[in-house]
Amino acid sequence: MALLEVRGLVKRFVGVTAVDRVDLVVEPGELVSLIGPNGSGKTTLFNCITGYLGADGGRVLFRGRDLTGTAPHRVARLGVARTFQQVSVFPRLSVLENLLLFLQQHQEEHLLARLLRTPRLRLLEALAVERAHRLLGLVGLAEKSNAAAGSLSYGQRKLLAFAGALMSDPDLLLLDEPAAAVNPTMINKLKDHILGLHRLGKTVVLVEHNMDVVMDISQRVVVLDHGQKIAEGPPEVIRRDARVIEAYFGR
Amino acid sequence: MRRAIWLVLGVAVLAAPWLVPAVVPRQQRYVLHVLIFTALFAALALSYDLVVGHVGSLSLAHPAFFGVGAYTAAILATEARWSFLTDVLAAGLAAAVVAALVGVPLFRLAEHAFAMGTLGLALVASVVANNWVQVTRGPLCITGIPKPALGPLPVTTLPAFYWLALGALVAVMLLYQGLTTFRLGRAFHAVRDNEPLAAAAGIDPLKYRLLAFTIAAGLAGAVGALYVYYLSVMCPEEMTVGLTVNLLVIVFLGGVGSLRGVLVGAVLFTALPEVLRLAPTWRLVIYGGLLLLVVIRSPGGIESLLRRASR
Repeated sequence: MALLEVRGLVKRFVGVTAVDRVDLVVEPGELVSLIGPNGSGKTTLFNCITGYLGADGGRVLFRGRDLTGTAPHRVARLGVARTFQQVSVFPRLSVLENLLLFLQQHQEEHLLARLLRTPRLRLLEALAVERAHRLLGLVGLAEKSNAAAGSLSYGQRKLLAFAGALMSDPDLLLLDEPAAAVNPTMINKLKDHILGLHRLGKTVVLVEHNMDVVMDISQRVVVLDHGQKIAEGPPEVIRRDARVIEAYFGR
Repeated sequence: MRRAIWLVLGVAVLAAPWLVPAVVPRQQRYVLHVLIFTALFAALALSYDLVVGHVGSLSLAHPAFFGVGAYTAAILATEARWSFLTDVLAAGLAAAVVAALVGVPLFRLAEHAFAMGTLGLALVASVVANNWVQVTRGPLCITGIPKPALGPLPVTTLPAFYWLALGALVAVMLLYQGLTTFRLGRAFHAVRDNEPLAAAAGIDPLKYRLLAFTIAAGLAGAVGALYVYYLSVMCPEEMTVGLTVNLLVIVFLGGVGSLRGVLVGAVLFTALPEVLRLAPTWRLVIYGGLLLLVVIRSPGGIESLLRRASR
């Protein structure tokens, strides 16, 4: 069974069809990139998959389960993690707390136990702290763990958001422009991280404008233009596709 | 050193009923009365801060929940002769149930609309208190609420009531601390700071907002019950929108989202005006001026000044 299956998805905004009957199938363990000019519907597609926007037609299946009408927090708890295009961290929480937050709802959500801080909960918290420290080490933010997330640089915040998405060990990772406005050294690190996840068997869907990143790491590239899927295939084929070149460079 | 200061302060607060007569022998009743008011207002302001400071929803409905609790307690005590503790619990529960019911539709409103919606609720509650004469006796007030008793222990004297109010404040402080730290607090703060991102972390924003709103209302209702037991009378004027203004001043001048800040705010804006004998006509002008000053110079309130000083 495909991990993610988008069937004929339609999303209309006033006067515009942002996503126009898009099909997308992602198998477990795949690394897929979604590309297309600005306004081609990539982020809208992400928002429809993760429940932030209701679709006007079509269906989204995750592990065969229909996600239509499912609230974002439920989609997240089913094992779909996402990052946002604008850097999103909780600026007033510490770097460590930012990460802990991304695991706690997956571990438990018993309100009374949380208030009483049961031994089981303290154990889970300790496990979460351990995992958070490991991920902070992975993205190179280990010594920042007690700093307020708002004090980080743009690139560091991006890495933090990325680590946050990994905290719950999601089955599907949707990354919205992880490399945008990030310096070249950081981009290489990010590429390594994503490839590392891929090697671990994680399923990743990437929205990205940086063609070097896309062409370097993706197994498959899906191209959107004006809300429609205009091409799909391995990077080397997409690179030479006439419609893709036209969509990007005009006629 | 710091520990010593806290210890002395704690002992002074506990021993106030003995200290006050020694310091101001002629006015001890009045000073104790002010201290009781301060403790009750501090508890009420802390409950208010759960919503305003920790999930970031500007609710103006707190007088309504305070009033629901106060009237529930007053009616049960005079008509049904319920015991004090069950009465306080019932008052809290009644206010919490009302909050849960109105919270679901209210939280569908965006920020400013939410504030207006809650303001509407406070106004409606005030109108109901004035006009539903069969139940609330309207402007005639519910009188003759008996003195409370903790089981076999009657609370009749001012010092006894002072300790009761202090105990209630400590209970609210502990609950506040438990709710606003660790995993619950983290989830509340996530919802306050970035709702879409909180949802991406698996947090249901509505659930946590509603939770804070309901608990805060329950606490306000319980404080309302203590309040009417203290005054032994409940009138509609006790739950006007003016109460919201006082709470806003305490919370925002003291330090929104901070236990210490709200406590300091409650002491400064309940006890000091009384002690300094500020003319009521000038009080609002001074509050207004202070509010402006703090918003411009120190948006985090007195708490952020304290933090800067302790660094």
